Amino acid sequence: MSFTFFIFSNLLRQKVRTGLTVLGISIGITTVVALGIFVNSAKAATEELILAGGADFAVGRAGSADLTFSTLTADDLAALREYDEVEHVSGVLMAISKVGSNPYFFQFGIDPNDLDFFEAPLVEGETLAAGAENQIMLGDGAAGQLGAEIGDTVEIRDLSFVVVGIYDTGATTFDGGAILPLAAVQDYERKQGLVTLAYIHTRSGTEVQALADRIEEEHPNLATLVDLADVGDVDQGLQILDAVNLGITILAVFIGGIAVMNTMVMAVFERTREFGILRALGWRTRRILQMVLGEALLLCLIAAVFGSILAVALTQMIVLFPTVSAFITPHYTLDVFLRGLAVGISVALLGAIYPAYRAARLSPAQAIRYE
Amino acid sequence: MSEQPDTVIDVRNVVKTYDEGRTRALDGVNFQVERGEFVSITGPSGCGKSTLLHAIAALERPDSGTIYVNGDEITSQRDLSRYRARSIGLIFQLHNLLPNLTASENLQVPMYETDLSASARRRRAEELLALVDLGDKAGKRPTQLSGGERQRVAIARALANDPGIILADEPTGNLDSKAGQQAMAVLRNVQRQQAVTLVLVSHNRQIAAAADRTVYMLDGKIAEGDAAASERRA
Repeated sequence: MSFTFFIFSNLLRQKVRTGLTVLGISIGITTVVALGIFVNSAKAATEELILAGGADFAVGRAGSADLTFSTLTADDLAALREYDEVEHVSGVLMAISKVGSNPYFFQFGIDPNDLDFFEAPLVEGETLAAGAENQIMLGDGAAGQLGAEIGDTVEIRDLSFVVVGIYDTGATTFDGGAILPLAAVQDYERKQGLVTLAYIHTRSGTEVQALADRIEEEHPNLATLVDLADVGDVDQGLQILDAVNLGITILAVFIGGIAVMNTMVMAVFERTREFGILRALGWRTRRILQMVLGEALLLCLIAAVFGSILAVALTQMIVLFPTVSAFITPHYTLDVFLRGLAVGISVALLGAIYPAYRAARLSPAQAIRYE
Repeated sequence: MSEQPDTVIDVRNVVKTYDEGRTRALDGVNFQVERGEFVSITGPSGCGKSTLLHAIAALERPDSGTIYVNGDEITSQRDLSRYRARSIGLIFQLHNLLPNLTASENLQVPMYETDLSASARRRRAEELLALVDLGDKAGKRPTQLSGGERQRVAIARALANDPGIILADEPTGNLDSKAGQQAMAVLRNVQRQQAVTLVLVSHNRQIAAAADRTVYMLDGKIAEGDAAASERRA
């Protein structure tokens, strides 16, 4: 019998207590892992958004609280077009409104002429016609959700748009929404002459980061978005999500730690005599420490595995809601599960240090006499 | 040429008090045991016999006096785990087997402090169970064994790390007379077969009388018995 198996068999002595403790810690770990999955998914969706249409980078208004609140003027776009390295600038106006049953349907207003540069690979139909006012291209996700086909009509803000094409960019937010003529979106959003982001296609051989840095230096009111790290300049949302995630992780560690401490203190009190016997049989204090810490660690590792499985199941259930799946595709990255594991290990150490110390400090003779 | 017997346990003027000195459990005890000897310590409840055994087992630290085991002074040593793991085997009044483990697994518990592999520990446990006639009970948990069988497992556990000394504290105290006699027979047999030194504490004079030598304690002192040992050594 290995020492690990011996530790595991100790956990089975109080099956109900072990089960409830595992469940309690699992819920904490599920919260941390599920939130982590959603934060990562949101980051991935944002990254897809800033590099949409095959652009090398995007430009927004510096200091915006949210990406969708960014507003760029025609002058801003003109200033960007003046750079020699810039091959093309596509201004995109983003809007969100209720379409069908989805209250957060993303609409991307793009000048149809820009669709030669802004890549939206067609699955079916054709792109918006130049000068078209009432045409719409649906992402394949949105088409599925709305049950719309080529030639059907989609109502947005009491306006009717005819579906001319269905595209698949691979970006969740884009494919869960629609591309409309820029003028139409500016019109119903009452944002004439304004766009949310400018998507920049550079000439070959351009040092993208150097160009982005130069634009920011020469236009301090603009923020260039080359990768996810730049998003904080125009959107506080991801930083808030990160902060919430960290807060919940810390809470989970403390609450889980108390649950483990409760379980392990009870186990140590109940088994005081047993610890005395083990010491009398020659066990070193270090082995007693190993046993108690090992029990807590095993308890939390089981909870981490169980909690992670639960988190995956939960995120899969949540994205069954079309309103969620329109924004987010769950991204299961290793770092999220490692965070769950780290929470489990932290909970075990936090909760077991005192009980293990107490168990190891027991006088063998007193422990043997303990009733 | 006659061989001079070794003194494996040498207790010298040991004092142990409780309740801030108000209770004197051991009051200047001198006590010696020779290699391979079976000595019983008897006396009324509270006379200090279990305290003396615990002091020899290094479970209690005396207030004063010294104890030598196999020539090493144990009273001043800081970490006595190795001594308890390698030099002595303990048997308690209650079997104190772990309820979640089988008989074989219980026997392996003291062996974690050795370098034996898992398979070697299992083989050793099987040998010891055969020694106490429980070879067919290796997979049974304590709840599936009778009181006498449990105590025989505890006897086998005391031999796990092949110690030279067995210290038994009222090993039959929790058994009926028949099971107690059987346990004593096994203990005596094991002591002879393994050539170990056995110190047994019992308030039951009949049980104590099974020993080669009986020491009687009263009020924390050796009242009779050890003088004879001293004479024999001389």
